[in-house]
Order: sequence, then C-alpha cells, then structure tokens
Amino acid sequence: MNTNGLNKVMENTNAFCKKLLVCRNNFKTWVQLDSSNLSDGQQLSVKYFTVAVILFFAQILFGLLAATQFIYPSFLYEILDFSVNRMIHINAMIIWMLYGFIGCVYWFLEDESGTEIVGLKLGNIAFWVLTSAVTVVVLVYLLVQIGPGKDSSLWFINEGREYIEAPRWADIGIVVVMLIFFYNVVATFSKGKWSGIAGVLTLDLVALAGLYVAGMFYMTNITHEQYWWWWVIHLWVEATWEVLVGVIMAWSLMKLLGVRRKIIQTWLYIEVALMFGSGILGLGHHYFWIGTPEYWLTIGGFFSALEPIPLVAMVVHAVYDSGAHAFKNSNHPALAWIIAQAFGNFFGAGVWGFMHTLPQINMFTHGTQWSASHGHLAFFGAYATINIAFFYLAIQHWRGDVWMGGGSQNAWRWKWALGLLNGGVLGMTIALLIAGYEQSFIERAVEGSTWGGYFTAQNHPSFQSAMNWRLFFGGITFAGFILLVWDLLTIGKGETRKAPEIIES
Amino acid sequence: MIEPVALEDFFITFFSSALIILAGASYALLFAWSKVNPVISIKIAAYISYAVLILSVAELTRAAQFHGYWLIISLVMVIGYFFAPIGIWHLCVKTHTDDLTPTTEEKR
Ligand code: HEM
Ligand code: HEM
Ligand SMILES: [Fe+2]
Repeated sequence: MNTNGLNKVMENTNAFCKKLLVCRNNFKTWVQLDSSNLSDGQQLSVKYFTVAVILFFAQILFGLLAATQFIYPSFLYEILDFSVNRMIHINAMIIWMLYGFIGCVYWFLEDESGTEIVGLKLGNIAFWVLTSAVTVVVLVYLLVQIGPGKDSSLWFINEGREYIEAPRWADIGIVVVMLIFFYNVVATFSKGKWSGIAGVLTLDLVALAGLYVAGMFYMTNITHEQYWWWWVIHLWVEATWEVLVGVIMAWSLMKLLGVRRKIIQTWLYIEVALMFGSGILGLGHHYFWIGTPEYWLTIGGFFSALEPIPLVAMVVHAVYDSGAHAFKNSNHPALAWIIAQAFGNFFGAGVWGFMHTLPQINMFTHGTQWSASHGHLAFFGAYATINIAFFYLAIQHWRGDVWMGGGSQNAWRWKWALGLLNGGVLGMTIALLIAGYEQSFIERAVEGSTWGGYFTAQNHPSFQSAMNWRLFFGGITFAGFILLVWDLLTIGKGETRKAPEIIES
Repeated sequence: MIEPVALEDFFITFFSSALIILAGASYALLFAWSKVNPVISIKIAAYISYAVLILSVAELTRAAQFHGYWLIISLVMVIGYFFAPIGIWHLCVKTHTDDLTPTTEEKR
C-alpha cells in the first residue's frame, strides 16, 4: 500500500473514532448519570452490571436464533449453526449472571464491611481482563464453529461442557479473576468488620469457586465426565447460587425495607441449612441414568423431594415481610422484582423441579423439552429476577437516591417491562412443557425411546405448534428486555423528590 | 427398585406432584395468615389445603407405584408439610418479636 492509501485509512479511522466519541458524549449527556453519587466500589460494580446487561442481550438474541432454527432448520445453516447459537445462549446466561452477582457483592462490600475495598485497582484490572477474555472466547465460538476435537481445541476453542464451555486457557483466567475477587472480599472484611452476612458470603464463595475447578478436567469416560460436570451445574444452582442470592437478598431487604439485621441473619442461617441439607444430595437426580450406581435413584429421589421445602419457607417469609414493611419502600420496581424472585424461584425450581424429579417419571422426561421448560423458568425466576432487582437499586443510587416509589413518572415502563419479561418467559415455559409432555409420552413411553420414536415426536403437530409458540413468547421476552433497558437508562431522570433514608426498624 | 409410571398415569403424576408443592405452600401461607388474622374461615381454608396435600400425596404414591422404602417419601411429605408451616410461622414470629423495640446497637 502506498503512503497515500495509508493516509486515507488513517483518516477514516480517525473520523470513525471521533464519531464514536461524539456518540458516547451524546449518550452521556442524554442519560445524565452522575458518577460522583457512587463510591469507588460501586463504580466498579456498575461496570459489571453494564456488561451483564449486554450479555443478557446476547443471551436473548442467540436464544431467538436457536428457536427460529427449531422451526426453519435451514435458517443460517452452516453460517451460524444451532449448536453454536445454543452454546452462546446458555453460556452467556451463566456469565451474565455471574457478572451480576460479582457486581452486587462489590456494591455492598464497602457498606457491609465499613471500609474501602482493599484491592480496588486489582479489581478493576480483573474486570477488564475478564471482559476481554469473554469477548475473545465468544469471537472464537463464532469464527471456529466446526472442526476436530483435539487437545488443542480443548485448550483454545471450547471444552464441550454444556453451560461452562469456555476453553481451558479462559478457564484458568476465570479462576485467577475469581481469586482476585475472593481476595478483595476477604481482605476488605478483615480490614473492616465481619458480620453474619459476610461469613456466609465468604464460605459460599469458597464452595462456588471450588466447584468450578471440578468442571475443568476432561475425562475420557463419559460417566466420570458427567459425574463431575454435574457437581458444578447442580451444586451451583441448587446450593451455592441460592445461598449467594440469599446473601444479596438479605442485604437488599435491610436497605430497601429496613428489615432488621438479626431477623435477616437468622433467616439466612436457616436457609443455608435447609438448602445445603437437601440440595447437596439432591445432586442424585442427575445420576439416575448416566451409568452411576443404582443407589442414586433412592438418594436422588429422596433428597430432591425435600428441595422445595426451603423454597416454600422463602415464599411465606417474603409474603410476611412485604406485608409488614411494604409501606416504607421507595423503590417499587426493585421490590416488584424481588417478589417476582420469590415466586419465580418457588415455581421454577420448586414446582417445576419436583414434577420431574422422581426417577419413576424422570425416566421418561429426562433430556426432553421438559428439562428446558424447567430450566427456563428456574433460571429466569431465581437468578435473572434478583439481578434485575439489584440493577434498579443501583440506578436509584446512581441518580442520587431519588424517589422511585408510588406516583413516579413513566412508571408504566417498568411495569410493562416486568409484565412482558415474566409473561414471555412463562409463555415459553408452558409451550416447552407441552412439547416435553408430548415427547416423553410418544417418543419415550409409547415408542420406547427408539430413533423412529424420536422423529415421530419431533414431527407431531403439538410439538411443532409448541415450538411456534415458544418463538412467539421469545419475542415478547425480547420486547420486555428492550423496555427494561430503556427504563433503566431513564428512570428517575428529572425526579426531584429524594427517597427517605431507610434505617433498620 | 423402582416401578416406572404407567402410560395412563402420566398426567396424574405431574398433576399430583405440582399440587403437593402448591398445596403445601398455600397451607403454609394460610396457616400464617390465620395466626395474624384469627378468622375461622382462614383456618378452615388452611386445613382444606392440607387435605388436598394428603390426597395428592396418596395419588402420587399410587401413580408412581411407591412400595417398600419408597413409602418413606410419602410419609415424610405428609408429616413434614404438616409441621413445616408451624415451624416457619414460629420463625417468622420469633425473629420479628422485638421489631417494635429496636436497640440502638441494631440501628448501626
Ligand atoms: C434455581 C434452581 C434451579 C435451577 C436454575 C435449575 C435449572 C435446571 C436446568 C437448566 C436443568 C437442565 C440441565 C441440562 O441441561 O440437562 C435442570 C435439570 C433438572 N432439574 Fe433443575 N434447577 C433448579 C432447581 C431444581 C430443583 C429444586 C429440583 C427438584 C426438586 C430440580 C430438578 C431437576 C431435575 C430432576 C433435572 C434433570 C432433568 C432431566 O433429567 O433431564 N431442579 N435444572
Ligand atoms: C427470547 C427468549 C428466549 C428464547 C427464544 C430461548 C430459546 C432457547 C432455545 C431454542 C434453547 C435450546 C433448547 C434445546 O436445546 O432444545 C434454549 C435453551 C436454554 N435457555 Fe433459552 N431462550 C430464551 C430466553 C431464555 C432466558 C431468559 C433464560 C433464563 C434466564 C433461558 C435459559 C435457557 C436454558 C437454561 C437453556 C438450556 C435448557 C436445557 O437444555 O435443558 N433462556 N433457549
Ligand atoms: Fe439439579
């Protein structure tokens, strides 16, 4: 290329960068968010929240693509294969939720410990390292969609473990970043002060991070492989994540509703005991049919039948508490999403989980759309909701603790976002339930899990119309998401009333 | 050993399982409500929920063909869901009793 051409390219890039900067500045003046309202730790946590929302968007986008391919199998075939769309859909989900959780912890760390975050700089570096790694991993997923499975693909492309498919280099990076996060939590509490919440959080993070390591070793025996892989997935969502959410919820309820610390902590301890007591051996419900010994049928059936009990207790407590404290609340959207969490967790995990957990029936439903029905409602109901609630808490503070209670302007936005998101996911859940019922009945029971039975079930009219309905409700979910983002960016803008300071009652 | 659910019992298996959890929760909620608001009809509604729960457990026991030690699950559900709401209620109250008299230490 001659110098002339090079100059041209430089000029173009320059112009493009300038345009980007202008856009960024325009956006900043438009959102009118004043970061001096945030402490240093909170500035770090809103970075995590921002990436979480972007990844949530990616999750929904790739979910819609995968759902379209169920109906038009040739759609984007060999350009963006179903396997890739599905992989990005569920990996983005895990990552955005973890980003959200880390953001929540950084948000309240200073408040709870009574001191500044010890390794703030390190935390910021870790954020950028993690975010760049996630970007590279996703780009590689998109660019290298097919190829041989070798040691090198395990290291550099993907590890092939559903939900946690990051290649090994990224796995190691994730562990390092998590260690930094963990160091920040422990060192900050040690410098400031410990509390019951702090203790539960720290122990839970040890378990959460330790379990991730169990999912990092590839084994050639598929039974061994699945055995350890479930340790991560099940013991994350049915034990350690539930407790982490308990901690986040505990802190939020104290700040949002003024519930007293003693109450909150007693509940937290009981919840931990019930959750771990039933959830750890509930792991057995994934060991029914993977080649593990037969005693798992009993263990899995028995303990997972107990798993809904803490969820029942939590709904009752949520209703009791919101009855006792609702009037003090100055952030209605956050409270609404917290209530959505209590019910979503109860229905998605408790009711939908129990319906297919006994081996006598799971032998038919295993791995059908039944599992997807439960998976959507449980992940959304238990973990998307609490993150969204926290986004509202964060934005309220970012706006300078303005009033977001009754009589706020444009309240229809958050209400519609709430309705569309919950209605959309619920609609998808019902559609998948119908599909799963049909599959387990025709493919599994009537036709005895044969190859022919698989196709009979896939071509059945009720299955196919269920797939159409799933896409339709996916669209509703998407609309809800767009409205949610719009609302998060604009809520409280121009609000002059301050939220009254809440003290623990 | 387990006995798989029979074809004609598919629907009732899902239905009764869901109903166990729903009836368990509404019994717990109504029980708590009847304590806050001692009206007899709420109390009756609570016990009706519990009766629904017992029927659902019986139906699931039949449909899922529980026998031998599997019957322990049915028993645990019937007993557990009876006492759990009482326990949950006591916890709600015990942890909230001094709600009205906050100490300065707790106010932080
Ligand atoms: C918030 C908590 C929960 C979440 C996020 C969750 C999520 C999921 C997901 C995504 C799957 C599908 C895994 C796969 O890809 O194969 C799954 C499977 C399963 N879940 Fe849950 N779950 C939760 C709680 C529960 C509870 C409490 C129970 C039982 C009472 C339960 C019972 C099951 C069973 C039996 C399966 C296996 C389905 C099969 O055989 O294909 N889950 N869960
Ligand atoms: C626009 C909305 C969405 C659409 C169209 C969609 C679509 C899909 C599709 C097509 C799959 C693959 C199912 C298969 O392999 O048969 C899937 C899997 C999954 N999605 Fe979504 N999804 C959406 C939103 C969500 C949300 C909001 C969540 C949770 C927060 C979620 C959680 C999951 C999970 C856990 C799986 C794996 C389920 C399993 O394999 O058992 N999805 N989704
Ligand atoms: Fe599980």
